[in-house]
Amino acid sequence: MTMPGAFEPSPVANYLPTTAIIEEAENFTARDRYFRLSLERPLGHRPGQFVMVSVFGLGEAPISISNPPGDAPTLEMVIRNAGSLTQVLHSYGPGDAIGLRGPYGHGFDLHDFLGRDVLFICGGLGLAPLRSLIRAVIDRRGEFGRVMVISGCRTPAEEIYRPDLTAWAERGDVDIVRLVDNAANMPWKGRVGLVTEPIAGLKLDPAETVVAMCGPPVMYKFVLLELAGAGINGDRVFVDLERRMRCGVGKCGHCQINDIYCCQDGPVFRFSEIAHLKEAFL
Amino acid sequence: MISYLADERRVIQWIRHLAAETPVFFPMPHGKVNFRFERVDEASELQFARYRPTIIAPNSFLTPTKEEIFKYQRVGPGRYELTPAVETTFQILAGVRPCDLKAIKLMDDVFADGERDPYYFQRRTNTSLIGYACPAPCDEMAYCESAGSLDWRDGVDVMLTPVGDRMLIQAYTERGEALTASGDFDPCDDPDAELQRHLDERPKPFGRQLHAPVDELPAILERHWDSPLWDQHVERCFSCGTCNLVCPTCYCFDVKDVSALDGSSGSRTRQWDACMLTTFATVAGGHNFRADPAARQRHRVKRKFQYLNERYDSGAFCVGCARCGRQCTTGIDIFDIVNDIVDHDRAAAGGAS
Repeated sequence: MTMPGAFEPSPVANYLPTTAIIEEAENFTARDRYFRLSLERPLGHRPGQFVMVSVFGLGEAPISISNPPGDAPTLEMVIRNAGSLTQVLHSYGPGDAIGLRGPYGHGFDLHDFLGRDVLFICGGLGLAPLRSLIRAVIDRRGEFGRVMVISGCRTPAEEIYRPDLTAWAERGDVDIVRLVDNAANMPWKGRVGLVTEPIAGLKLDPAETVVAMCGPPVMYKFVLLELAGAGINGDRVFVDLERRMRCGVGKCGHCQINDIYCCQDGPVFRFSEIAHLKEAFL
Repeated sequence: MISYLADERRVIQWIRHLAAETPVFFPMPHGKVNFRFERVDEASELQFARYRPTIIAPNSFLTPTKEEIFKYQRVGPGRYELTPAVETTFQILAGVRPCDLKAIKLMDDVFADGERDPYYFQRRTNTSLIGYACPAPCDEMAYCESAGSLDWRDGVDVMLTPVGDRMLIQAYTERGEALTASGDFDPCDDPDAELQRHLDERPKPFGRQLHAPVDELPAILERHWDSPLWDQHVERCFSCGTCNLVCPTCYCFDVKDVSALDGSSGSRTRQWDACMLTTFATVAGGHNFRADPAARQRHRVKRKFQYLNERYDSGAFCVGCARCGRQCTTGIDIFDIVNDIVDHDRAAAGGAS
């Protein structure tokens, strides 16, 4: 039966990954592996966005983009071994291919930071997404006031992007504070303590400071309290939240935080816009 | 719009005629009390009078429980050829009640939002809906009038409205006109009068009634985030997810690969998921943003009456079919949860004034 308005088959594009080749891979820690991939064309992303990474047979996982926007057809990311898909990715090295779709989500807008003092607060793997913004800021260093990075992790062995942190510190125009919760009898030149502790010592100018933060779910409320104590309001704080997206396009329901979708409305939010959401933080 | 009149016998004859050419699915008795949408064949006993909402709602014909979205085939080391699933079989869902018609319209809104979902719409555009207006509540559980779905027509191709011992047959779309052209129907000059008669014959009120208008529920629910009622109503809950699976407006899914044993080929699929299941909101590393069953129950209730209607600027996503309450192993009913919250709200307001 032919019906008016019947569907005409057409190429179906959504959810189809493209192939990307791993050019470089390196274990940052026992459970975090760094990848640099070459793409057919630049991702066209904003800092803070994410991609869906595929291994056919195992499925997909949302992974943060670590490199700054630009013209290079490159993708950098750090993947934690946390499940069957990421376990297999940890066995991948140069020359191996993975599936990729994206970028997805609402990233950071550099205009929110231009001309301001910028403070980055990174907990553990939270440095991976924030690096995309830190690099973008440092690339245009002259257009910002103070640039400060607080990067904390559990032990010295868990620190990621160590060469970057060292290089940024050596520039002289970026304040880097590296901390561990516990030095665990390992060599460690940085501080011992939580990422909240250095905030007061930075003597932030509340009128000039903008904050970007990302870390484990438990970190947010303590950092937000400390920032409030330093006089920094929620409209100057940008948080990058983690949820386990399945689709990336606002359909599958998994990343819903109360009435918003982390994959589309986030994962980067101005804190004052989500402060009322009861399920945003632990 | 073209309108006809016919008795039920001729309407059923017409549906059989359609089924001879096209797959037609109709709610048919299954066991003693349950119904399910089954394909009409020559042996099918078609009738409208006896009905209870099918256990699984007809939206499963548009978003199947497990749906292939593409096939993958290894063509070299790490290299795969991807073939998107194309589904162009034309199907007719007939005897769809207004609650389910509204649910399908809401799914149209959901899957058109942002990136229009090609897998949903290739099925949806190949599906014709023949609706049937309920002359009486299907059982003592339904609250479709109160939820705002009883008079739903939007999205339907043909609507059948019982009037006395006849039916008003109305073609709402071009496709509906093409479908009804093959019926042995009488012309109807005054469909408005027939519709009015249908309304007059209907019991009032129609089914159970929520204790507040649905458009007031978002504000009321917002005031009771911390209510002890959430804990009270979840005490019997097993977090089994049945309420999600039978809900015509639950569409959350997981993405899973189904692989051949040697890993060289397979399918990427979308499979129904349920926000009442324990790990639905768990992220890598094990943090669960709704670990408490009461938080999951509250999320489900607020999705149906607040979050989604606000997001899509639509009516309530709960259509009042009452499937979740009917199927719940321990008799938890979203109708009771909402009414308890409303009663509590009213009592609190009364006490304050």
